[in-house]
Amino acid sequence: MKTKAEERTITKDGQLLLKKMEQDQVETVWDRLEAQSPQCGYCEMGLSCRVCAMGPCRIDPFGEGPQRGVCGADADIIVARNLGRMIAAGAAAHSDHGRDLVEVLAEVAAGKAPEYSITDEEKLRRIAREYGVETEGREVLEIAGELAAAMQEEFGTRKGFLTMANRAPAKRREIWQKVGIAPRGVDRETSEMMHRTHMGVDNGWQSLLLHGLRNALSDGWGGSMIATEVSDILFGTPAPTPNMVNIGVLKEDEVNIVVHGHNPVVSEMIMRACESAEMVELARKKGAKGINLTGLCCTGNELLMRHGIPMAGNHLMTELVIGTGAVEMMIVDYQCIMPSLGALAPCYHTRMISTSDKARFPGMEHREFHPDNAAELARTLVREAIENFDQRGETYIPVEAVPSVGGFSVEAIIGALGGTPQPLIDAITAGKIRGAVGVVGCNNPKIKHDYGHVTLTKRLIENDCLVVDTGCAAIANAKAGFKVAEAIKYAGPGLQEVCGALGIPPVLHMGSCVDNVRILVLAAALANALQVDISDLPLAGAAPEWYSEKAVSIGSYFVASGVYTVLGPMPPITGSMNVVNLLTSGLNDVIGASFAVEADPEKAAVLIRRHIEAKRKALGLSALDI
Amino acid sequence: MKQVQVHPERCLGCMQCMLACATAHSRTKSLFTAVGESPLPKPRLHVGAGSHDEGFPNRCRHCDPAPCLLACLPGAIFRDPDTGTVLVDPDLCINCASCAMACPFGVLRYHQDWVAPAAKIVAQKCDNCLERQHEGLIPACVEVCKTGALTFEESDEALRRKTREVARSVSMGMEEQPLIPTGVQLLRQAKKQRFEMRCR
Repeated sequence: MKTKAEERTITKDGQLLLKKMEQDQVETVWDRLEAQSPQCGYCEMGLSCRVCAMGPCRIDPFGEGPQRGVCGADADIIVARNLGRMIAAGAAAHSDHGRDLVEVLAEVAAGKAPEYSITDEEKLRRIAREYGVETEGREVLEIAGELAAAMQEEFGTRKGFLTMANRAPAKRREIWQKVGIAPRGVDRETSEMMHRTHMGVDNGWQSLLLHGLRNALSDGWGGSMIATEVSDILFGTPAPTPNMVNIGVLKEDEVNIVVHGHNPVVSEMIMRACESAEMVELARKKGAKGINLTGLCCTGNELLMRHGIPMAGNHLMTELVIGTGAVEMMIVDYQCIMPSLGALAPCYHTRMISTSDKARFPGMEHREFHPDNAAELARTLVREAIENFDQRGETYIPVEAVPSVGGFSVEAIIGALGGTPQPLIDAITAGKIRGAVGVVGCNNPKIKHDYGHVTLTKRLIENDCLVVDTGCAAIANAKAGFKVAEAIKYAGPGLQEVCGALGIPPVLHMGSCVDNVRILVLAAALANALQVDISDLPLAGAAPEWYSEKAVSIGSYFVASGVYTVLGPMPPITGSMNVVNLLTSGLNDVIGASFAVEADPEKAAVLIRRHIEAKRKALGLSALDI
Repeated sequence: MKQVQVHPERCLGCMQCMLACATAHSRTKSLFTAVGESPLPKPRLHVGAGSHDEGFPNRCRHCDPAPCLLACLPGAIFRDPDTGTVLVDPDLCINCASCAMACPFGVLRYHQDWVAPAAKIVAQKCDNCLERQHEGLIPACVEVCKTGALTFEESDEALRRKTREVARSVSMGMEEQPLIPTGVQLLRQAKKQRFEMRCR
C-alpha cells in the first residue's frame, strides 16, 4: 500500500517534504487537484465554448442534448477552436519571452543597458550573417543593433517569412509551402489564430488545425528560437558543466536565494549580485557561510546550462521548496509560477519577489526589473535576502543533492562529437544507437511526479535510444541520476559504448523549455547532413507530464517539423473524433508525422521504439521487431 | 408520476446541476444575484468524484420508508402526500443531525437558508423543486443537465429506454452503437490509467 506522498511523487525529497507540508497543514497543488475533482467533462473533451456572449455553449457528447452552439458550431469546430487558442497562448508566451530578450539586445546595442553585454561574439556574428547583416570589419554593438532590429521585424508582418525557418531541411520547407503552413511572422500567426477563432471566421476544423500548426511553427522556428539564440548571445552559449540537483542543494548554513520562472534577464543579474564579494562579506557578517543561489524550473535551467548553478527542482517542487523553511528569498519572473506561492510563503520566513511588469502575484512584493536598473535592483534584493537570514526558523532539508551535467547546446554536442554530426550519424547507421528522442515538457499533478519522465527515459536508454531533454523533464532525469558519465550503466550496450567513448551521459540536458528549439536545430542538422527530411529520421518526441499551453505549442511544432510526438496527459480533444483521428493519424499523410497519446510511459516507450525501428527500416538500416 | 432519474454513466462532472440547484433555492432565482445573497444559497445535490475522477450526481432518493424521516426526533421531516417528496420543516428542525446519521447516501447538509428562521441552522435536502413544478417547470438540476445524466420522467419509461439502448449495443450484424461514445470512452480510459499508475 502506497502512502499518499508515494502516490503523488516518485522523488524522495518530494515525498518527505509532502509529509512535512501535511504536518504543517499547508495546502499543495495536489490537494487543490483533489478539491477540483471531478473536473468538468465538457472542458476535458474540449466541448465547452465561451468565445462569445451568445454562449457559453457546450455540446453533449452523448448525442441527446445540444449538438451545436448558439452560433451553429458543432463539436469539430468547437474542439478545433479551443485547441487553436491553446496553441496561440503557448506560442505567445514563448515568443513574448523572445521579444523581451531582443529588447535587451537592442538596449545593449544602444548603450542603455550597461550591466548587460555581448558574451558570445562569435554567435552574434554567425546569427547576424544568417539575417543578412553585414559583419565584416564592424563593431560588435553596431552588429547587435542591426540584428535586434532584424529580429524585431520577424515579429510583424512585413517580411512574410521567418529567417531561421530556413534552417529546416529543404524537403520540410517544401511540405510547409505545399500545405500552406510556412510561418510568416511570429505575432502574425498568433494574432491570426485569435481572428480565425472569433465567431464567424474560420469554421473549417481542418483549416483551423492546420493554422494551429503554422502558429506553432512561428513559435518553434521563430519566437522560441530567437529567445534561445539571443540568450546565448547575451549570456553565453552553454557548454557541458557539472551541477547538483534536488532539494538537497539548499544549504543549512548559507543564505538560500531561489530564482523561479523562465527569463534569464533577471536571474543572470541575481547571480552576479550573489557572486559579488561585497554581498558574500555581508552574508558572513550576518552569520551565514555564504550565499547559495539555486534555481527552479526553466530560469533555473538557464543558469544551470550556462553556469552550473544548482537546481532545486521542477514545477511540482516549487511549493515544496518553500516548505524546507530554508529559503530566504524567492525571486520570480514569469510563466509556470503558481499563484499559490505568495500565500504559502508567510507560513515560513521566505520573502517572495515578483519582477516582471507583466506578471503579478498575490502576496508577493513587486520589484520591477528593467535593463537599466537590473544590476542595482539585484544587489538590493540580495542584500534584503541576506538580512532575512536571521528570521529563519526550523529547517528541513532531508536529502543529499545528486550530481548531474548540463550544458548540451547544439554547439556543445557537435563539439563533443568532434566538430561534425557524423559520428552520431555513424552510430545510428551502425545500429549502436537506434535513434534519438526528445523527452520534454512539464510536471502535471495528474501524473505521479517525475514517474512519466524517468520511466520513459529509462526504457529508452536501456534500449539504446539517445535521450535529449529540456525543461521539467530534464530536471526529473537529472534528479534520477541519468546525467553523469557513469549513468551509461543504465544504457543498452550500443549507447553505452558510444557515450562511454565520448565521455557523455546517455541523457543530454539541452536546456529550458524555449530551448526545445535546440532539438529542432539538431534534428535539422542531422537531416541536412543526410540530405533527407526530419520526418525520415529515427527520431521522436515525448511530453509525458505536460500541463501548459506552451507544451501544446511545442508538441505541435515538433509534429509540424516532422517529429512523431507522444503526449502523456490527454489534451482536450476527445469531443471530436475527427480531430482525434486527424492529429493521431491523418497528419501523417499531410506532414509526415503525427501525435499519439499514451499516459503509461512503459507503453509510450514501446510506441516510440516501434516508430524508430520503422523509420530505420525505411532508411534501409537494420531494424528490430518491437 | 415523473421523478428525477439519475444515469451516472452519462455524468461529465461539470457541476452545472449544483449551480442550478443553489440558484433555484435562492431568494432571487438568478445566478448573478444569488451569489450576492446572505445567507449564500447552497446546492441540495452534490457531484462527487469516483475513484477515477468520474462525476457522480448524488441526490436524495426520497426513499420509502425514509431512514431520515424515521430518525427525525422533532418530526420535522415529513413526506408530501401528492409527490412522495421527503421534505424538512425548518421551523421544527433542531439541527441534531440524526437524519444525516440515518441517511445511507449522505445527501443532508446543515446551513442557514432564506426560507428558514433567520440565523437558524437547519437540515437541508432536495425538495424535488416542488415550487418550480407548481409553476410548470421541471427540477432545476434536470433542466441544465445536457447529457441526460439527470432526467425527469416515469421510472418505467427510463428503464424501458435503457433496455433498448443495451439491446442495441449488443445486437449482431448491425453497425455497433456503443453505450458510451468513443470520445468519452477515450477520455475515461485515460483517466483510469492515470489513477492506476499512481499505485505503481
